[in-house]
Amino acid sequence: MPYKKAEQKFSGKINVCEIGVGDAAISIGGENSLPFLGTEGFKTAVGIAISDTTDEWADCFKALYGDDLKNPAALAKAAVEKSGADFLLVKLESADPNGADASVESCVATAVAVEAAIDVPLVVEGCKNAEKDAKVLEEVAKALEGKNVVLFSAVEDNYKTIGAAGGMAYGQKVSAESAVDINLAKQLNILLTQLGVKSKDIIMDVGTAAAGYGFEYVASTMDRIRLAGLGQNDESLQMPIMTNVSNEAWGVKEAVSTIEDAPEWGDQEARGIGMEVATASACVVGGSNAIIVRHPESAKTVKALVAGIIG
Amino acid sequence: MSKFMVIGERIHCISPAIRQAFADRNPEPILLRAKEQLDAGADYLDLNIGPAEKGGEELMQWGVKLLQENFDNVPIALDTANMKAIEAGIQVYNRSKGKPIVNSADAGDRIEYVDLAAANDAMVIALCSKEGVPGSNDERIAYCSELLERGMERGMEPTDLLFDPLFIVIKGMQDQLGDVLEAIQMITDMGLLTTGGLSNVSNGAPKHIRPLLDSATVAMAMQCGFSSAIVNPCDKRLMETIVACDIIKNNILYADSVLEF
Repeated sequence: MPYKKAEQKFSGKINVCEIGVGDAAISIGGENSLPFLGTEGFKTAVGIAISDTTDEWADCFKALYGDDLKNPAALAKAAVEKSGADFLLVKLESADPNGADASVESCVATAVAVEAAIDVPLVVEGCKNAEKDAKVLEEVAKALEGKNVVLFSAVEDNYKTIGAAGGMAYGQKVSAESAVDINLAKQLNILLTQLGVKSKDIIMDVGTAAAGYGFEYVASTMDRIRLAGLGQNDESLQMPIMTNVSNEAWGVKEAVSTIEDAPEWGDQEARGIGMEVATASACVVGGSNAIIVRHPESAKTVKALVAGIIG
Repeated sequence: MSKFMVIGERIHCISPAIRQAFADRNPEPILLRAKEQLDAGADYLDLNIGPAEKGGEELMQWGVKLLQENFDNVPIALDTANMKAIEAGIQVYNRSKGKPIVNSADAGDRIEYVDLAAANDAMVIALCSKEGVPGSNDERIAYCSELLERGMERGMEPTDLLFDPLFIVIKGMQDQLGDVLEAIQMITDMGLLTTGGLSNVSNGAPKHIRPLLDSATVAMAMQCGFSSAIVNPCDKRLMETIVACDIIKNNILYADSVLEF
C-alpha cells in the first residue's frame, strides 16, 4: 500500500506579532499547525534575560560578565553579544516594594539605557508586584514610545493600566500573564480585547515551571491553548506565546546548589544550563513562539535545537 | 469535537420585508438582518430567496455578493428550490471563510442537490426524508445512507454532508421527538455531522414559550452529538444555551467572559 501522509488541517491560525523596529524587528507566531509540523516556516525566537538586580545570580554569571553585572546597559550589550539572541528581556526587579523599592523614574531610566545599548527588540519585565508594575510599565511604555517593546506582563489586577498605556496610548505590545491557568489565559485576552487592545498586539505569557517541577501541567496547558486556537478556531486564544524560563530554571535546587553543597552533582554552571535547556526545549516543542533564557550557552543551544528541527 | 455551528435563518423570503427587499434589490433590510445575526453569534447565514423561478440566478448572485462584501466573506447557505440559482451563487462565492452550503437535498425529488454540491465542492444539507416527515428511524437512516452513498460516489467527503433528521413539531407530534434525538445519536455514531431547522419544534407555541422549548431541545440534541442548526441567532436564551453546552462538551474553552466574546 502506498504511503499516505496523514495531515491534520486546522481552521485557525496563530496571529503574527512583530516586536522591535526597523532592521532589528522580529515576527513571532503565524503558524497554522502544531509546532514544527507545518510548512509555513514556524520558527521560535530565542531571547536572553538580564536583570537590574543580579545579586542572587549564580557565580558563573560573575565569571561570565564581570563588572557588567552591575550595569544593566553594559550587561544587556554583553548578553546579546555572547548569546546571539534574537531579542533581550530586562527584568526591573529593583522596583519590588518588598525589595529595593526603586523609584519608577529609576526603572524607566534603566529600561531606556538598556534599549539604547542593544540592537535587538526589547521585552521589559516588571517586578511581579501588580500595583507597582502598573506604574512602572506604564511609564516605560511612554518613555519607549515608537520602540515597539513588549510589556511583560499584565495580570488581572493591572491589565487596564498596562493594556491602555502599552497597547493603546504608546503602541507597544502587551503580554498577558496567566500562570498556567488556561481559563485565565482566555479571560485576560478577552478583557484586553474588550478594553480596545488589538489581538495582534497581545502576547500570551502562560507561565512555566522548571522541568521536573510540575512541567506536565505546563505542557497540557500549552497543548490545550494551541488546540483551541487552531482546531476550534478560538480567536481569543490565537496570540503567540512568550515564555521566560530563566527565573524558574535558575531557581530550583539543581541550579542553585553550589558544588560545595552537592559535590556529587558536578559543575553548577553545567547543571543550571541543563535545567534551563531542558525546560526551554520542552516549551519550544509545546508551542512557545518566543523563549527566554539566562545563560548565553542555553540561548545558543536552544537556537541550534530550533534550527535542527526545522532542518 | 468542534464548536456547534449556528446557521442564521433570518434572511428568508417568507418575511415580507425581506421579500420586498429582494424584489427592489434594496440592500438595507438584508444587511440589517445579517448584522443582527452575526453580532448575535451566527457562523453561517442562510440566504433564502424562495422558489425564485424567474431571475433567481441574478438574485442569488446579488445576495451572495452583498453579504460577503459587507461582512468579510461571511460563509453562506444558499437556499432555494432553483438549482441554477444555487450554482450561479456559488460562482461568485468567496470560500475564504468556509465552503458554501447547498440548502437542501433529500432522498426524493431533491437528490440532485447532492450532485450539485459535489460538482461545486460545496457542503449540502441532506434531509433524511423522501416525502414529508419520515415515519421511523429505520426510514431516516435508510435515507441518510442513500444520500451519503450518493455524495461519496461523486467524490464528496462524508463530513461535507450535514444530515437533517427533520425536527418535528411538539404541538401534535410530541411523542416522536424522542425518535429525532435517537436519530441524531445514530447519525453521529456513524461519524457524520447533523443539522436541522430547530424552530420547527416550537412552531405554533406562544412567543414566550418558544425559546424555552428550542433551547431545551438543542441542549438534549447536543448531548446526542448534534453539530449544527438553522436557528434564529437573535434568540438570546437559545444562543446562551448553545455556548453553555459547547463548554460542557469541551468544544470551547471556558473563560469568565465567555458570553461576551
